[in-house]
Amino acid sequence: MSHQDEQFRQAMRGYAAGLLECQPLPPASVIWLRAERRRRRLAIERAERPLRIMQAVGLVCAVFAAVWMLYRAGTLNQLSTVGSRGLIWVVAGAMLMIGGCWTLVVVSRRPLS
Amino acid sequence: MSELEFQRVYDATAGPILGYLVAVTGRREVADDLLQETFCRLLVHRKARAGLDAQETRRYLFRIATNLLRDRWRSGEDRPFAEPAEAGALPSLESTIDIRAMLKHLKSRERELLWLAYVEGMDHAEIAAATGLGRLSVRTLLFRARNKAKRFLGQGELV
Repeated sequence: MSHQDEQFRQAMRGYAAGLLECQPLPPASVIWLRAERRRRRLAIERAERPLRIMQAVGLVCAVFAAVWMLYRAGTLNQLSTVGSRGLIWVVAGAMLMIGGCWTLVVVSRRPLS
Repeated sequence: MSELEFQRVYDATAGPILGYLVAVTGRREVADDLLQETFCRLLVHRKARAGLDAQETRRYLFRIATNLLRDRWRSGEDRPFAEPAEAGALPSLESTIDIRAMLKHLKSRERELLWLAYVEGMDHAEIAAATGLGRLSVRTLLFRARNKAKRFLGQGELV
């Protein structure tokens, strides 16, 4: 290493030493607690993941089931047999199914506090 | 890692990491945040560092800190170098050359490389591991950064 490099190194290290003299470090315990909180949150998120996937699958199934019910009730040759009262029941059932799933998803995502 | 073990690692490495972050960002409050985040990540991803010795842990911490700096630049949060205030008696050589002005003149990556090479005393391979750059890239970029720094300090007695 050249003399210039050595001089440069000394200057940089001198600067670093001066820089750290007036910089108190944050306490390790604060960082430890912060990391613990984050680890706990990540563990909860990991545990909840399958539940959330199943909720999404349930919602999609409910939408398909509702659409299928409406389709079955709405086809021309069945309209006459179902009647307007039956149609109302089918629509209400479909709405209830989707609404129920949607409420389940929304409530489960709300924070506990 | 127990709390006591963490305290030991923290005591040994927090100072150098904070110095590095302050020198690269030029902002104490940002450096403080990044320091806390660096050690948080070390604790949260314990498995990643299982089996690392003290030197490897130190390099790993510099790698996390460097990645956090990159994330800041990418997200556009990076603000100009603010010349952190310093106190305490400095070696006499320091008075002849203005390292602070030189750091301000350099780009963030150049500051990073010079700091790791000259303050932390890392070789090219270690810098490559700490920054995620290739070994040859480190060599080239460090050479350029050094020349740029020397040109800047040319008016002083260094060059």
